[in-house]
Amino acid sequence: MIQRLLFTLVAFLTSLFFILPILWMLSSALRPQAEIFRTLSPLSVEAFLPTTLDTSNFQNLLQGNYPRAVLNSVVVASGTVVIGLLISSAAAFGLSAIEFRGREVVFAIVVISFMVPFEVISIPLAQIVRENRINNSFISLILPGVANGLAIFLLRQFFLGIPRELIQAAQVDGAGWWKIFYGIFLPLSKPALIGAGLILFIWQWQSYLWPLMIISDNSMDVAPVALAKYMGQFDFDFGQMFAGAVILSLIPTLILLPLQRYFTQSITLSGIKE
Amino acid sequence: MAVAFLFMMPALILLVFIRIVPSVQAFVSSFQFRGEFVGLDNYAFILSNDRILGAIQTTLMFNLIVNPLQIILALLLALLLVDRVYAPSLWRVLIFMPVAVPLSVATIVWGIAMRPDDGMLNAFLNWLGIASQPFLVSQDQALFSIIFIASWAGVGYWMIFLISGLKEIPESLKEAAQLDGAGYWRTLISITLPLLRRTLAFVLVADTIANFLLFSPIQILTRGGPSNSTNLIMFETYRNAFAFNDLELAYALMIVLLAILMVVVTLQFRLLRTHESA
Repeated sequence: MIQRLLFTLVAFLTSLFFILPILWMLSSALRPQAEIFRTLSPLSVEAFLPTTLDTSNFQNLLQGNYPRAVLNSVVVASGTVVIGLLISSAAAFGLSAIEFRGREVVFAIVVISFMVPFEVISIPLAQIVRENRINNSFISLILPGVANGLAIFLLRQFFLGIPRELIQAAQVDGAGWWKIFYGIFLPLSKPALIGAGLILFIWQWQSYLWPLMIISDNSMDVAPVALAKYMGQFDFDFGQMFAGAVILSLIPTLILLPLQRYFTQSITLSGIKE
Repeated sequence: MAVAFLFMMPALILLVFIRIVPSVQAFVSSFQFRGEFVGLDNYAFILSNDRILGAIQTTLMFNLIVNPLQIILALLLALLLVDRVYAPSLWRVLIFMPVAVPLSVATIVWGIAMRPDDGMLNAFLNWLGIASQPFLVSQDQALFSIIFIASWAGVGYWMIFLISGLKEIPESLKEAAQLDGAGYWRTLISITLPLLRRTLAFVLVADTIANFLLFSPIQILTRGGPSNSTNLIMFETYRNAFAFNDLELAYALMIVLLAILMVVVTLQFRLLRTHESA
């Protein structure tokens, strides 16, 4: 009992370490620059509490090119999720529902190749993209994110759990493979699709090196790169930096929090313990 | 068979164009200089250049510290939050929160927090009665500051994997051990950890790969400095490709990084191999 209380105290203090910087970011985004520094010297609890709800930082941010960058990020991330789910689920279907010789080998090749870290091939790939003049485009931002080994792996695991009898019954009714795919497999796989979608989304929303290499036109910048460029300027406005950081963190938080259980489920499902 | 390939076609085409073609091109070009075949010259240059060798050394040292640190912290937190505290899901969510913050954004926020004169971290240290620290502008502290930022961003993520691994372990096994008179630590060492080995191996390898490829904190905050003290391979490669316009050298460096990574990951799998008898 006492031990449990003590451990709970440790958990509370550890949580503070992880959550205070986020609270500081949020509170600072909601106060004028002078106030940000006042609450720090000396440090007061106010620094971590949104005591002022001043939205001027967000309004100032709206004036520049940041809204465009956020929009770019949203377009790229949503495009990645939609196209990525189509491509990954189709591949997973081909690798699970349909029996053919050498299926395990093809599966291993596909998953292993996509698991080779993207960063390693991103520099030569960026060179190819530039040589073919498709840099500075949405398609070049989206493409590397759409075929994700983990997403294919996850969906295949789930598909393998769907009873063969359903396929046979559909075939008796005259359904083709395509019909079986979108009529039976996809509707039954919502949790796995959400899990895979989250993986695709988070991967793309986090990406930084790739857009940095292939985007030279400022209007095509994704938000993380735009924010980092802004920090590189000699006299940046702290309040606006924090406001920009809050927007970039809030969007994935709003998506992750209600769907977190699918994320955890998909981790369990991916069978890393098998 | 043909139908199966139709379904796999889009993924296979992408596989060829965004994975295999660039890999082959990088490998071939790593033996060239300005398009001419030069054999192992690029690799010889890597072995003779002090800055690049320094980057390899810094990367190894960085990983030797950051990976054990993150995995041990994540494991301790997972063990604590799986069944040893009140309100475990509350603490889990709070510790998981940084995962929603993109690494580049976490980097920016910590970069501001670590400003020596007006940053939040020194304000906090002063509040504790500790003198202000230089953090990122100090040759001695910069790499540790990067380790600190990467760990803040990563530990909660790996913790979630370990918690889900711990929950997979049947309660009955632990209860049986306890009936035999085993205490918490004894049960942990002879039952829990061996059964968690697969998850641990996965988490350790995935974390190691991510940290060997760490890029955005360096590019945003230190640019490899001060005095190359944070010059990790990924940033050195990026610099060679884009600042010094020596793509072929960058490719050779990338191949070296991949080779190092393969050796390290193989060692880790060996270390945490699940024994059939266990």
